[in-house]
Amino acid sequence: MGRVTSPTAPVATTGYPWPIETTRLANGLRVVVSEDRTAPVVCVNLWYDVGSRHEPPGQTGFAHLFEHLMFEGSQHVKKTEHMRLVQGNGGSLNATTNPDRTNYFESMPSEHLELALWLEADRMGGLVPALTQETLDNQREVVKNERRQRYDNVPYGDAWLRLLPLLYPQGHPYHHSTIGSMEDLNGAALDTFKAFHQQYYAPNNCVLTVTGDASPAEVFALAEKYFGAIEPVPGIPPAPDGHLAGPATEPVRETVTAAVPAPRIYLSHRTYPFGTAGYDAITVLATVLGSGRGSRLYQRLADGKRIAQPDYIGSYGVDLAHAPAPLIITATAKDGVDVATLEAGLDEVVQSLIDEPVTDEELNRAKALLTTSWWRQVSTVGGRADTLGRYTTQFGDPATAGYRLPAWQAVTADDVTEAATRTLQRNSRVTLTYLPEEGPTA
Amino acid sequence: MTLITTRPEAGTARPYVFPALRRVTAHGGTVIAAHLPGQVLATAVLLLDASAARETEGREGTATVLAKSLEEGTRKRDSAAYALALEGLGAELSPSVDWDAFRIGVSAPAPRLAGAVRLAAEAARTPKLDPEDVIRVRDDEVTALRMDWAQPGPRADAALRGDLFATEGRYRKPLHGDPASVAAVTVDDVVAFHQEWMLRPGVLLVAGDLDGLDLSELAEAAFAGTAGQALSPAAPLGLAIPAKPHVILVDRPGSVQSTLRLGHRAPERATPDYVPMTLAATVLGGAFTSRLNHLIREVKGYTYGIRGSYAMTRRAGRFEVAAGVQTAVTGAAIKDTLGEIRRTQQEGVTEEELAVARSWRAGQLSVEMQTPGAIAGALASLVVHGLPDDYYETLRREYLEATVETVSEAARRHLAVDGLTLVVEGDGEKIRAELAEFGDLTESAV
Repeated sequence: MGRVTSPTAPVATTGYPWPIETTRLANGLRVVVSEDRTAPVVCVNLWYDVGSRHEPPGQTGFAHLFEHLMFEGSQHVKKTEHMRLVQGNGGSLNATTNPDRTNYFESMPSEHLELALWLEADRMGGLVPALTQETLDNQREVVKNERRQRYDNVPYGDAWLRLLPLLYPQGHPYHHSTIGSMEDLNGAALDTFKAFHQQYYAPNNCVLTVTGDASPAEVFALAEKYFGAIEPVPGIPPAPDGHLAGPATEPVRETVTAAVPAPRIYLSHRTYPFGTAGYDAITVLATVLGSGRGSRLYQRLADGKRIAQPDYIGSYGVDLAHAPAPLIITATAKDGVDVATLEAGLDEVVQSLIDEPVTDEELNRAKALLTTSWWRQVSTVGGRADTLGRYTTQFGDPATAGYRLPAWQAVTADDVTEAATRTLQRNSRVTLTYLPEEGPTA
Repeated sequence: MTLITTRPEAGTARPYVFPALRRVTAHGGTVIAAHLPGQVLATAVLLLDASAARETEGREGTATVLAKSLEEGTRKRDSAAYALALEGLGAELSPSVDWDAFRIGVSAPAPRLAGAVRLAAEAARTPKLDPEDVIRVRDDEVTALRMDWAQPGPRADAALRGDLFATEGRYRKPLHGDPASVAAVTVDDVVAFHQEWMLRPGVLLVAGDLDGLDLSELAEAAFAGTAGQALSPAAPLGLAIPAKPHVILVDRPGSVQSTLRLGHRAPERATPDYVPMTLAATVLGGAFTSRLNHLIREVKGYTYGIRGSYAMTRRAGRFEVAAGVQTAVTGAAIKDTLGEIRRTQQEGVTEEELAVARSWRAGQLSVEMQTPGAIAGALASLVVHGLPDDYYETLRREYLEATVETVSEAARRHLAVDGLTLVVEGDGEKIRAELAEFGDLTESAV
């Protein structure tokens, strides 16, 4: 191949060049404001420090089902009013739940900032009186449909649900999936949800972030006005401890025969928690390995050996912060390629990260791609608010958001080799294989 | 604890402004650039009049195979060198094909955009198109389509399109073709498509902080070496709505959900009714509080989500309702859905519902247009549909000024509940009998 000189990535001194101001209300609510007057848009984002890792046995899926209930009305907001008021004033909204946390956010034309804060305060402080059995029953059905649509009715759709219990031992907070089991969802009782809200949806368990067309002084005053009277909850119990002594010591395999169009393999390893230097090395490693056409997986398996389908190859870390986070590596066999050949190919490329140092060109490429993806993430007020909410919740200081990009850029080839040597050994590997069912395929 | 009981009033709105545009021409091509002060990232999209509609019948998917072949090396460098050069700038090529255009997009930090555009143009104008590579890409695309068609949705989409546009040549096949038509694509088809449609200058759309971008340099990168005049657009296909519903079953044994695709044809994008139609569809199935989502998701719990919308391109349009519903309630969900479409068609919308739709659509013009990528997409619409630079300000005003009468009238004229094609992809054994009650049932061969 023709060798090209790849330019050295420009080094960013911070990944967060916008101003950040913070305060803490007497009830413990942390408020973060990042002003940017470029567009007449604000984002209001709340990170509640509660996720599926907090769920006890028999209550899987409750944190996420609860997220749905937060849209069904509160003390002064009627059942369908939340969505109507946000969309009916030009906004976009959503919420997500993952193992670590639950977030709620709306981007609005900035003249509706106060409305967004009122809505959020009302459901933080006044959800329980509005919660009814009818609402719970309806949203339970919606969530079961979500599970069918996203996981059960899609080829390979349950891979993540299968990987988690293989990666994390019984009783570990990441052992079960966020969507939960149909059985647990069916058993969900109204009182459990009322207690859930009273326990976790407290101002002292939340970070409120506002980004965009608003000043810190204005936001701090409004935060006090709307959230200030909400009582803190003392002694919120932490999630079960996610500490693990190190990488797994025994390889684990699961093979699923299902209605899938081609054999597919997922390899996964526990690595380091998100936010550590080790995980920064894993982030760069995942990009070297599986992101883009210049990645090792693409170059060696889709292009070189031509055993993997080019559209379905990749590797990525799942950014979890409370225990070593998983790296997932996947490839799907081309027509006529058997699954053993594909697995041998994948294994060889993964092993290469231990045996074959990453070149400057590979490292520059990965850092350049990560740089673009970082700036894409913070190119909207919504992306910025969520980023600041994360760093405040998980690391205690929103300004730490600015360190991530420089930290990626500081990763060396040796760091990548060391991370690979420590986390990608064959004896710590989870291998999940999907095989098509016998007989004619569609 | 005392929560504030009354809902706050809105503050004063700042005036809506679409970013200022600048133009530069070179070699017969035009750069249209939107200024986004402070954005680190910049996006450029080369927009070429080389849409899927230009493909030959029976070879649907040619443009898609070409799009995926562009990165298999250029006359200057092989595929690995190309990938390293482009990705070394932090950029990835996103070539895409739709019914109106072929787009080749790149995003990168602004100082690297010119380099990325140079490489994008190199791939678009001078791809190597080695026969062996093209054949391999084509075969991979057949496999990728088969993978995609194993998901619920694409087969139902194909069945609906096949019925709505049965007599409209290229338009009766999916945008990216189907596994059979892609398998029939030859190297000559791909090379000829490239020669015929990809070498005119076209338009380069740019969005980013223009203080750090040299537009003449970008124009040179995009248009040097090109030739030819812009093509004149072909006429719209017109409207054809059947007198009674068609019901099509796409069998997916064992499916735990039924995928609904209910649709009929509609006017093309240039219709003067664009704004009231969009608002009517927002009331029916666009907003979260829409009639369909409220009834089918929030009241009945049949689905995770249901949407109704018009999709309008330069030559054709269609109305469609899309949802995945639990298998056991397939018939009930269709019945309720038809009821809401009929009610909207016959009775129109209420002021309360329209108020939500108006503000939402208007607000989205600022809320959803923050990124360089979104602005470049908005610029593409201006070019493809021949709209003026102040179009988004006008559109916002038209949304806000739309009345119950005009929107209800648009619903009456552009919804046709009795002319719908009802495509249902699901477990035939369980749902076949109840589908027959909605009209003449046929089984799809896709």
